[in-house]
Amino acid sequence: MNWYPIFFREMIILKRRLFRLGYIFSTLIIPIIYFLVFGLGIGRGFRISETEYLDFLLPGLCALSSMNNSYTWVANSMNFYRLYSKTFQIFIQSPISAASIVTGEVLSGVVKGLFASSLVVIVGLLTEVKMNFTFPFLSALFLNCFMFASLGVVVGMITKSHEDTATYSNFLIIPMGFFTGTFFPIEKMPSIFKPFIYIMPLTHTNILIRKVSLDFSGLLSLFVMLFYTILFFWIAIDLIKNYSE
Amino acid sequence: MIEVEGLTKTYGKIKALHGVSFSIRSGEIYGLLGPNGAGKTTVVKILTTISKPDGGKVSILGVDVVRMPEKIKGLISSVPQENNLDRELSVYENLLIYGMLHKIRNLKERIYDALVRFDLLERKDSFVSELSGGMQKRVLLARALISDPKILFLDEPTTGLDPQVRRQIWDFIRKAKLEGRTVILTTHYIEEADALCDRVGILCRGRLIAEGSPEDLKKSVGNFVLEKLDGDGRLVQHVFKTEEEAYALAMNLGPPFTIRRSNLEDVFIKLTGERID
Repeated sequence: MNWYPIFFREMIILKRRLFRLGYIFSTLIIPIIYFLVFGLGIGRGFRISETEYLDFLLPGLCALSSMNNSYTWVANSMNFYRLYSKTFQIFIQSPISAASIVTGEVLSGVVKGLFASSLVVIVGLLTEVKMNFTFPFLSALFLNCFMFASLGVVVGMITKSHEDTATYSNFLIIPMGFFTGTFFPIEKMPSIFKPFIYIMPLTHTNILIRKVSLDFSGLLSLFVMLFYTILFFWIAIDLIKNYSE
Repeated sequence: MIEVEGLTKTYGKIKALHGVSFSIRSGEIYGLLGPNGAGKTTVVKILTTISKPDGGKVSILGVDVVRMPEKIKGLISSVPQENNLDRELSVYENLLIYGMLHKIRNLKERIYDALVRFDLLERKDSFVSELSGGMQKRVLLARALISDPKILFLDEPTTGLDPQVRRQIWDFIRKAKLEGRTVILTTHYIEEADALCDRVGILCRGRLIAEGSPEDLKKSVGNFVLEKLDGDGRLVQHVFKTEEEAYALAMNLGPPFTIRRSNLEDVFIKLTGERID
């Protein structure tokens, strides 16, 4: 439980922000825009493999929201604590392991990711979108938050300025949101791009999150997600272990 | 208690430390004195585990700080030069999180004691950004003490503070010594090193150029300084072993002149030809 102080600190900050209307609004605004534009606008009346487009879209928006919120919060926070507020020095000087620091930060990212995706779920339920809260859905959501929060620690540790985190976001996170099956099935993409798409971790979240039961492709995506989660988590620990100002 | 041997550190193309060696005894106040950029903060960062040296050995109580930092983290506390308080938390929350990270028992009582000791009780719910510079420094000191550290690192603790707060911090440092703590203090204020330190190491451009008690260091260059303005309005200083020698030259040169006791800056000037700014 050495990670708990790190996690607890983030929860104090989150609780404070939750009471500001701006936080909930900014968490919801992007998925709502996508929901309106793609779901109710462009996608109205579309069907994908016998599925209403909105029923297809909403799990993808949950994956997208959880990725954005887990990753962005953690990456920005770590970058800010390390380069600007210097609060990160306190973590490093404490008698807790690098793994505890990463676990605390990642779990706080998971909470933020789950909070954001639950807001999307509420919007879905209010608009009577069909959603299946199955094991694949829940495991994909949790693992997605954990995976991207771990990536957030990695990026927060390697960036040299606040602008750098935006660069990673622009070149990695935003394109991943559009090309990995959030808004349309991956099968519709030209074959030449498919190898790149299947390398992207969010692709596998989008596959797993739409499964009603865990079949072979779902299991494969689960393993790929586990692989990325362990990889990012391990790199994050290594970066903190070797931290030096 | 602390052994530093041949410490080197480079930042890009700049060599911050060129083989610095010194040792610190248990229970003493050891001052690292030098101008800005001398390497004082780099030494403290290495000793407090937030920076890794390129070479050399550093041990605290026989434990290698670089190889086994986790073994000494519970014994040390530091007040950094740059305020690293959590601006998103209140004073109380800052102390609480620090205490939790250091697994302190009876934490609430210890926080209360620290708030009382540093006269922060009324501001415990204030955010750090709402406090004055002096008050923020008191929070940093309170935070450093709640883990009851054996060794306390204070990096430029009084820089930018008004004389009243500076005196309060001096009292705190003296009290920390009376409580049996070893204090490592970096400063570029001559009078601070003179007033507080049992021993001083003088750093200049990443090298330790002298070490000893303030009295011994002053004796080594001479106890009396004759100051006189030359024809171009520049201050010329001469250092002498005795006051009589200083007066003898002063009489030859003629008034106006000043004769005063030497201080650590005179030691620095004598050794480097530069002033401590």
